[in-house]
Amino acid sequence: MSAWHVDDSLATAYAAGSAPEPGAWSLEKHIESCGACAVLVSTAVRRGAAGPVLAEVREAVLAAAVRPAPPAPLTPPLGPTARVLWAAGPALRGPWLVALLLVAAGAVGLAYGAGFAGARPLLLALAPVLPLAGVAVSYGEHADPMHEIGASTPGGGLRLLLTRTTAVLAVSLPLLTLAGALMPSSVSMAPTASTVPSVFAVPSVTEAASVASVASTRAPGAAAWLLPALALVLATLVLGSYAGCRTAAGAVGGAWALAIAGPLLGASRLDGGVGITAFPTAELSAYLTRLLAGAGAQGGWAAGAVVCAGLLVLRRRSFDRPALGAARHV
Amino acid sequence: MTAKDTAKDTATDTVATALPVEVRGLTVRHRRTVALDAVDLGLGTGVHGLLGPNGAGKTSLIRVLATVAAPAEGRVELLGRDVSEHGPRAAVRRRLGYLPQEFGYYPGFTVRDFVSYVAWLKEMPASRVPGAVERAVDRVGLMDRIDTRVKTLSGGMVRRTGIAQAIVNEPELLLLDEPTTGLDPEQRVAFRALLREVGSASTVIVATHLVEDVAAACSQVAVLESGRIAFRGTTAELTALGDGTGEPGDNPAERGYTAAVRAVRSHRAGSATAASAEAAR
Repeated sequence: MSAWHVDDSLATAYAAGSAPEPGAWSLEKHIESCGACAVLVSTAVRRGAAGPVLAEVREAVLAAAVRPAPPAPLTPPLGPTARVLWAAGPALRGPWLVALLLVAAGAVGLAYGAGFAGARPLLLALAPVLPLAGVAVSYGEHADPMHEIGASTPGGGLRLLLTRTTAVLAVSLPLLTLAGALMPSSVSMAPTASTVPSVFAVPSVTEAASVASVASTRAPGAAAWLLPALALVLATLVLGSYAGCRTAAGAVGGAWALAIAGPLLGASRLDGGVGITAFPTAELSAYLTRLLAGAGAQGGWAAGAVVCAGLLVLRRRSFDRPALGAARHV
Repeated sequence: MTAKDTAKDTATDTVATALPVEVRGLTVRHRRTVALDAVDLGLGTGVHGLLGPNGAGKTSLIRVLATVAAPAEGRVELLGRDVSEHGPRAAVRRRLGYLPQEFGYYPGFTVRDFVSYVAWLKEMPASRVPGAVERAVDRVGLMDRIDTRVKTLSGGMVRRTGIAQAIVNEPELLLLDEPTTGLDPEQRVAFRALLREVGSASTVIVATHLVEDVAAACSQVAVLESGRIAFRGTTAELTALGDGTGEPGDNPAERGYTAAVRAVRSHRAGSATAASAEAAR
């Protein structure tokens, strides 16, 4: 630790009780971590006036200790699983978890309770932004009450962020996928499935409804959103390395919302306002299918995820860098 | 007390070749305002008090030394390493303890969870954590509350929990920002004893506006005023500064502190007047 060591004269003075107090303090602190000096000091003490007394005490202790007492029940060291849970725990913030459960339960409830055919595509459209919200509320100076302490530690950077992101994904992915899988997929298979019109041309409500029953069978599978969600989360982390996780999650989530809502709003405008009252189930299903499902789309999302992961590796140091001039308390 | 602290300080200062804290030309800005203005500071082993009026830059300095904030300019070497690089910074952070002026905690955490969590963040070996946590909690006198939830504790106890997390890794550099806020007089006395104990082998920097804390626990003092070092020396020297000056203050150390701060202010006002007179001519 340091180059300083106890010398013979200090050890002798200490044993005799004549060392100056500061010297004695330094010595006591030092021998806690330096074995060689501890031996030196203990030899000096045993040679000194206290020697016979110490020997006597030693005899007495050895005589009393017939059997060694069991070690004091110190709290057992935490296992690796417990430690991970504990690191991840604060990620699963109450309000976010509640929102997640509400969305999952709400979607299943809408589908069964209200017989709403659009519940499943709606869930698929909403699902990818939920993990982003989880990341936004679990890391960074705005979200994490212990951020100021964490920022001064070696483990408060990307390691912590990835632990928490993993926790968010571990909860949200299975839950939302399960909710999606529980949704009824339409059984009324219309033979005219091949005549499903394009997203932008739905002439009337009745036709839209009939199309809906067809299109819902074509809605992407419950797991189709997983890869896109992963890509969006990685994009958030990359962007977060520049702008902070909260801003990044907002930007990526906003971009996703625009990508979903933009074409649909365009479609309902063409529809002469009808689409506003009737939920555009068919369009949404068809659009989500194009966006999420199929080898091409999935391949694209996978490539995006890989690119973002690569960028994140390049940006890995940026999360433990001290913030320039940013002062929470001045 | 003061004399022997000083003696200890000079004794241990000669030990290391490079000082644990070396700061050169440190400038920190918050938007337009300058929080620290080209500060040069070298601190050795021992307990150092950092005094100054509110807004003088104490917290800014502590946050830079805690590697939480980056300076706009200047060089910061902690424990012999330049902390602007990732590798050395991570190594320094493992040996650092930091108590922020304000800190939060997770609602479900007990004192043990809180301190263990920080030990995990400081990358302490898992096998050492439980023992180290109990030792740290014991040192701040909270052993009887170790399994109590932090949110049910009083303000003083929360602060002691904060001190426990700062010392859990036996830091070589301990940075405490207003550590005695909310502590009652008895706890303060115990805390000062803890500071002296930690300061016997480590570098401890205590930012405070309470002169009596510094007078009682610190061997060295630095007074900051408007982002600059207004005074550096031993506690005895600060006290001597106030002797016979007639400065306000309830004790010699406070008078010394007031004298140091006022001297800088009047010096600056003087040079400003000189400059404006110069300009008027």
